[in-house]
This record gives sequence, structure tokens and C-alpha cells, in this order.
Amino acid sequence: MPNVFAVPVFFICFRECLETSIIVSVLLAFLKQTLGPEHDVAIRKKLTRQVYLGILSGLLICLLICAGIIASFYTAGKNAFEAAEHIWEGVFGILASLIITVMGAALLRVSKLQDKWRLKITKVLEKRDDGGVAGEKLGWSVKCKRWAEKYAMFILPFVTVLREGIEAVLFIAGVGLGLPATSFPLAVICGLAAGALVGYLIYKGGNHASLQLFLVVSTCFLYLVAAGLFSKGVWNLEQDAYVRLAGEGAVEAGTGPGSYDIRNSVWHVNCCSPDSTTASGWGIFNSLFGWQNSATYGSVISYNVYWLVVILGFLVLGFKEREGRWPLLKGKSGDDRAGGDDGRSNSEESESGMAHGVMGKEDGERQGGAKVREVRGM
Amino acid sequence: MAISLSNFLLPISLFLSAVGAATVTYDFDVSWVHANPDGLQTRPVMGINGKWPIPPIVATKGDRIIVNVKNSLGNESTSLHFHGLYQNGTTHMDGPVMVTQCPIPVGSSFTYNFTVDQPGTYWYHSHNKGQYPDGLRGPLIIHDPDSPHKDLYDEEIVLTFSDWYHGLMSDLLAGFVSIANPSGAEPVPESSLVNETRDLPISIEPGKTYLFRMINMGAFAAQYVWFEGHTMRIVEVDGIYTEPTDAEMIYMTAAQRYSVLITAKNSTDANFAFVGSMDQDLFDVVPDGLNPNVTGWLVYDSTKDNPAPKEIEAFEPFDDFDLVPQDKEELYEHVDQTVELNMKMDNLNDGANYAFFNDVTYVRPKVPTLYTVLSTGSNATNPVIYGSNTNQILLKANEVVEIVLNNDDPGKHPFHLHGHAFQVVSRSEEEAGAYDVSAAADLPSTPMRRDTVLVRPNGNIVLRFKADNPGIWLFHCHIEWHVASGLIATMIESPLDIQRQLAGNIPTDHWDNCRAANVPTEGNAAGNTVDLLDLTGEFKSPGELPVGFEARGIVALVFSCVAAFLGMGVIGWYGMAPVKAKTG
Repeated sequence: MPNVFAVPVFFICFRECLETSIIVSVLLAFLKQTLGPEHDVAIRKKLTRQVYLGILSGLLICLLICAGIIASFYTAGKNAFEAAEHIWEGVFGILASLIITVMGAALLRVSKLQDKWRLKITKVLEKRDDGGVAGEKLGWSVKCKRWAEKYAMFILPFVTVLREGIEAVLFIAGVGLGLPATSFPLAVICGLAAGALVGYLIYKGGNHASLQLFLVVSTCFLYLVAAGLFSKGVWNLEQDAYVRLAGEGAVEAGTGPGSYDIRNSVWHVNCCSPDSTTASGWGIFNSLFGWQNSATYGSVISYNVYWLVVILGFLVLGFKEREGRWPLLKGKSGDDRAGGDDGRSNSEESESGMAHGVMGKEDGERQGGAKVREVRGM
Repeated sequence: MAISLSNFLLPISLFLSAVGAATVTYDFDVSWVHANPDGLQTRPVMGINGKWPIPPIVATKGDRIIVNVKNSLGNESTSLHFHGLYQNGTTHMDGPVMVTQCPIPVGSSFTYNFTVDQPGTYWYHSHNKGQYPDGLRGPLIIHDPDSPHKDLYDEEIVLTFSDWYHGLMSDLLAGFVSIANPSGAEPVPESSLVNETRDLPISIEPGKTYLFRMINMGAFAAQYVWFEGHTMRIVEVDGIYTEPTDAEMIYMTAAQRYSVLITAKNSTDANFAFVGSMDQDLFDVVPDGLNPNVTGWLVYDSTKDNPAPKEIEAFEPFDDFDLVPQDKEELYEHVDQTVELNMKMDNLNDGANYAFFNDVTYVRPKVPTLYTVLSTGSNATNPVIYGSNTNQILLKANEVVEIVLNNDDPGKHPFHLHGHAFQVVSRSEEEAGAYDVSAAADLPSTPMRRDTVLVRPNGNIVLRFKADNPGIWLFHCHIEWHVASGLIATMIESPLDIQRQLAGNIPTDHWDNCRAANVPTEGNAAGNTVDLLDLTGEFKSPGELPVGFEARGIVALVFSCVAAFLGMGVIGWYGMAPVKAKTG
């Protein structure tokens, strides 16, 4: 199964595609709203075409970059990579895990994302209105600016797709270093399709409660994947040190005695290796939950520390959203910990809460949310 | 460099045969010297009396040999073992440390004193800390005025073959039994030697017949040996005379010996190369630039060129199983005790690779096994007292013992038994698996006997001998690396007879060495003299590798699962929470 479907790749594609489609949907919705039936149909069509053109050209460039990376990897890089396989996998795994972690939080606040983009677009369009009237002698830079403004509906989706796409390519390259090439296509296609589907659902403004649930579940999986990547990354680095010590012998040993450093071993079973080509079910286990048939102190501790940080991070974010301040900063009274909140029932509020996130909500300026959004680093 | 023994021995042996048994005395002061035998690297070697190569021990059947050993190494204890000698009645002179004696510590002396009633080609070497490949190994030749072959040759020449390392064994062993070597890959020799040198010319006179006594004194590598243009006629293996048998090429494992007759050509037109070629199948990785061959020449005319050896197409050595002993000793039909030894290699929980007989890897006892026999009275027949890691096998007086050795390892192993030559009654081809009595072919009626025999990869051998020599005799692989990784069994043969022979008769210098080396000399393998069944404190091997999950693994897994679920719970809590439109 991991030979035909790389789970982390699926999630990355899903995530990046979802983000792209949200932005695109915001754009389309915006056009629909601001250039309603009362406006010029030709202009609306033109702008809509710009949006689609932007998406397509972004996608095209992405594919070119992707092809370039693959080509260079399989021609020049392969040997260099194999010489230090464990280090590459370890470093990329940890990096990918950290990035997925940071991205993941934003996925839970899709509505904020929508708001943010709406704000952005509005600003761009407002600027155009300002400068569009007085058209005299213009400097080169101003020309550029005006061009950008004129084709904002092209540039925005183009840049977005390009950025998300390159991000995805890089992540997949990182996550997929150790995976067989056959495991990519299906995962990529499914990820893109699922992302586009969810994006479409958001655009249509369907059932937001179940959408939110869906996002939570998929984010949970994303974090499971990231935790596993983090742990595996640490394991890879440790294994690299061991292979350097034990040489060929460690490689020859397969999954049996001698294939791992007994001094750091927490558990080891001589089977069920995620790298094994025969017992393939364990590869999914590894992708989803970070399963290792050989666990070290490093990999177990890093797995748990990862979750500890994630838990604390979300508690802090949650606290910030609810209380409007960071925990431990200018505490008003006795309750100093975000953890104190978890008794509160969310289920009742979530229905009404979702309503806030619905498209078309105009009030974009929220101090509280701004900080959270910056996590995305946009 | 060829040691032409007859030149100086013939007069001696004539003299000896005239007066009967003599005493041959050697004073050996063992110390480090430097040597560069392969011309590649000068290294410290263990020399004797300030010289290396060390001298051969030469005696005649019936002689008493006395070797006074002084350890002047300065940094290592030592001992000497006389490989192939039965040591009948003198098991305490056999030499393996912590088996029949204590180590000879730095600065101490030890006297080996025994008689030899067996003619043939033997060798002597340290049997301590795997140190003989550092150079402490030499030929031991017992002449026989009554040899059935004595009229067949004019002169005899000793040829020793061996692999050669540039590193010290103490360092190499530390790296071998180590977590850094989980596959148990043996260090590969840097080169090989013949008579402790390379490119050895041997002067040959046309028309003469020579007895070449060939010894593989190597640590590891077996050698293919052939003489270009000459056929070997095997007349002795490991001290056992054989029916003369022609061979073009022989395969000589570590510790094996072959005496072959070679008749010189009648012309001096050309010189001929002979080659010892290390069996590279044994090597885990053959390093670039390794020359597996060592060459010498039969020099008929020293003014002519010594030609480079010709390439051969394939190694097709003579199968020693087909040899027939000259005395035609018949197969021991009736077996009293069968000892099945299943050998394998595996890792223990220190990460290093070990060798096992029946899942037990040898670890030396606290008290030399012989001294346990001598200090435990009637309990000496209880195998328990010899410890849990010595692979002890008790043999009763005069019973016929059969060793069935199943090699569950893809390597070739030369097995050696101290104190006996055994009948090789069956030897399988490669990959034959364990020995199956019902499927076994007919056993030879007069099986070949020797003291070191090759077992093929994943194959088996069946050996038989009569327990007519009370003593403590090791049975072990003669690859020195595997001695270090524990491929040793201890035969405890007629312990009560040993007591009768030796109780009170162990020379005081043996005890003095134990005192100097701080080794206990009484009690069971753990040195316990009160309760002989109490092995508390004995030396043991590292534990087995955990199979699957131990407590810590389960705790770690549970913790990880809890962390993951808790984490997902918090994500759910955060994700399902309403997004506040505005802050208060």
C-alpha cells in the first residue's frame, strides 16, 4: 500500500489545494458580489477569466518547477542523496513536520483566511479606484503598479497557486525522499481532488458545521503525520550515527539483530518494518501514526515532546481567542492557564459559532484573530 | 629461508634412536620485537628470545619435551598450546588459558613438560586472548624413526602458511566483538606469508623426493596450495599417516597440516612456482588491492628466473574426506554418546555478534576447568558445576563419542578438538542443513582421522573418537575470531580419572602463576567452594536481545498513544470552538 499511496503526500496536496481553492473561491465570490448583475457582465466575465488564467498559469509553472526538481534529483542528486540518506530524510522529515504543524493551525481557521483575503482584495481594488482616475504622465514604477492593479484578478490567484504549489512540491520532495516513486501519483491526485472538493464546498457555503468537523478530523490526521515525521526524522538522524559506527553490517542485518543500536532501543520487533517491501501494511501505520518497528529513546521522546508542544500551542491559541490576551500576560485574576478552559462546552456554541465564519461576513478587522493568522506567515 | 630440518636433525635423530628417548629442552623468553615479514609494514610481533620468526620445536617420537616459558611481553599474559598433541596423562600441559591452566602473567615463568608418542606435523601457539596471530606460533615436528613412509623421501622441508594482519590482535578483537560490528564481520588480513615471509625460494635438487610438511598457522584464512608442474602425494594429515594419495591442489584450513611428497624433476631447465592462495569466500568484503596469494619457488637453478605463477581457472582442491589412514583404523561402529552441537551466530544485548553452540556462547569460567575437576571430588561428574557458559560435555572413560555438528551459518569453519584425533565419518556438502541419521549415506569403513576438520556453509559433520584420554579438551573453531566470539565447547573426559592422575601432581609453578595472576584455583566455575551448585558470580555472556516489547517498550507505546489522543482532543477542542467575531 505505501508503494502506491503515500499518505503524507496526500495530506500535503490536500492542504495546499484547499488553501488555493479557498483563496480562489473568495475571489470568485467577491467578483460575484461586487460586480453583481447590475454591473457590466463583460467586465465580470473578463475578470473571472483573469482568475482562471492566473490559476492555470500558476499551475503550469508549478509543474515545470516540479519536473525540474524531479529531473535533477534523479540525474545528479540521487547518488549524493543515497550517500547520506538518513541525514536527508531526517532533516527533511523534521522540517516538513515543523512546517505542517504551523500550517495545520491555520487550516482550522479557514473562515479567518477568507476574511483576510477579502480584506486584501478589497484593498487592492480600492487602490485601483483611487489611482485610476487621474491618468497623466506616469513613471515606470507607477505604470507597473497600475498594470498590477489592472490585472489584480490575474496576479492574486497566480501568485497564490504558484506559492502554494511550490510549497507543496518542496514538502513532497522532503517527505517523499524515502518513498518509492510509484506511491506519488495516486496520492497527489487524490489530495488535489479532495482539496478542490472541500474548497468548492466552502465556496458554495454548504454545511459549515460538518465542514468544520471535517477540517478538524483532517487536521488531526495531519498532526499525526507530522508527529510521525518528527519522530522518524530524529530516528533517521540516530540511525545515521549508528550506521556510521556499524558500517555495512548494520545495513546487511535488514530488520534483524544488528540493524539497530541496542543501546538506544526502547523496543524492536524483527518484523513490521515500515521500510519493508513485504509487510506493507506497516508502511501506512508509519505514515499515519509514525509507527517504527525499532523505536529509540530519541524517537519516542521526540514523538511525545512533539505532542506536548502541539497541545500547549493549541491551548495557548484557544486561550488567546477566548480571553483576547496571551496567557500569563497581564493576568487579571486567578485563572492563569489556558488549560482551565477545557471544561467549557464547545458543542453548543459551535453551531452558532460557525455562522460567524460563513462567507460574506463583512467585518474583517479583528485584532484577536490577526495574531493567530500571522502564524501562517503570509 | 626454507627450514631444511634434515640437515641438522638427521644426525640428532640418528643419535637419539641409538640411545632411546631423550629430553628436548627449550628456553623461550617471549617478548615483543619488530618485524616486517610482508614488506608492507613493520609491526610489533611476539618473538622468542628476541627473535622472530620463532624457532620450531623438533623432537623424536618418545622424547620428553620441556619448554620453559618466560613472559617478557610487558603488557599481556600468555600461554603455549601444542596443537595436535594428545597430552596423554598431562592435560595440565595442554595450554589453553582458564581451561587447563592460569594465564602466565607478565614477568612470570611456566614450564611445559610432557612426552610425545605421536609422530607427525604439529605446531605450537599461544592459547590466550587470541594472540597467536601476533606471531606467537611455530612448527612442532615429531620425527619418527619407524615411519612407514621414511623410505619414500630424501629430505624434508617445513612450509608454514598464514594470513597476516598489520594491526595488533588486542585492538582488532576489541573492534570485532563490538557493537560497531553487528554482523560479526571478521577483519580481513592484509597479506599472507609462507615461512613467515613472501617470495620464498627453495633449493631443489633434481631427481630427489622431498617431504613437505605444510602447516596453516593462520588466524582465519584457509589456503589453497598447489605446486606448478608437480603433483603432491599426501602421506600425513594432522599427525595421522595416510595411504599415499595424489593431489594437484589441497585446501588447508587454519590449523590443519598436510605432509606431501614431491618428487623433483630430473632437469634443471626451469624453476617452478608454488602458491598459497587465501580462500576469499571467508572474507566479508575483499578490500581493494588485497593480494590473496603468497608465492614461493622450487628453485632448480638459482641462475634462472623465478616465473610468476600462472593464473588458474578454478579452485578444485582435493577432498580430504577421501583419505584413508595408513593404520586402517576401523570405523567406531557402536556409539555410546552422541553430542549434538548446533552452531550459529547471533547478536546479544550488548549489540555485538557472538557464536553459539546450542544457543550458548562460551565465556571463560572464573576457575580453570581443570582445577574445578581437581577440587570438587565426586561432584566433578556433575556438569552443573562447570558453569552456564562453558558448553561443558562430560565424557565417560573409554566410551565412543560422536559429535554431530550442524553449521547453521553461511561460513566455513575449521573445527579442532584438543587431545584427540577424530574419525571424520560424515561431512555434508554446502547447504545440506542438519545431519539426518536416517538419510545419511554409508559411513566409510576406515574413515579419515585428523584433529582439525572443515565444516561447509550450512552443512554438517559427524566425528567419532574414543574417550581414552582423560583430560579437559576444548572443541572449538580454529578461526581465532570465532574463539573470541565464543565458538568453544569444553570436553570433560573422565574427570575422576583426571583426579586420580593429577591430584597433588600439578607442578607448583602452575599454582604460582594462578597466584600471580590472581585467579582462584578451587571450586566451581564461579569459584564457589562451599556450595558447588551455587554459580552466583560466575562470568556470563551478555543477555539475549529482547524479543519484541519489554516493559519500557509498552510504557513508551502507551505514552505515545495517550499523547497522540490527547493532542487530537485538544485540536478538536480548538478546532470546534466558535471563532469569535470580535474581542471584548
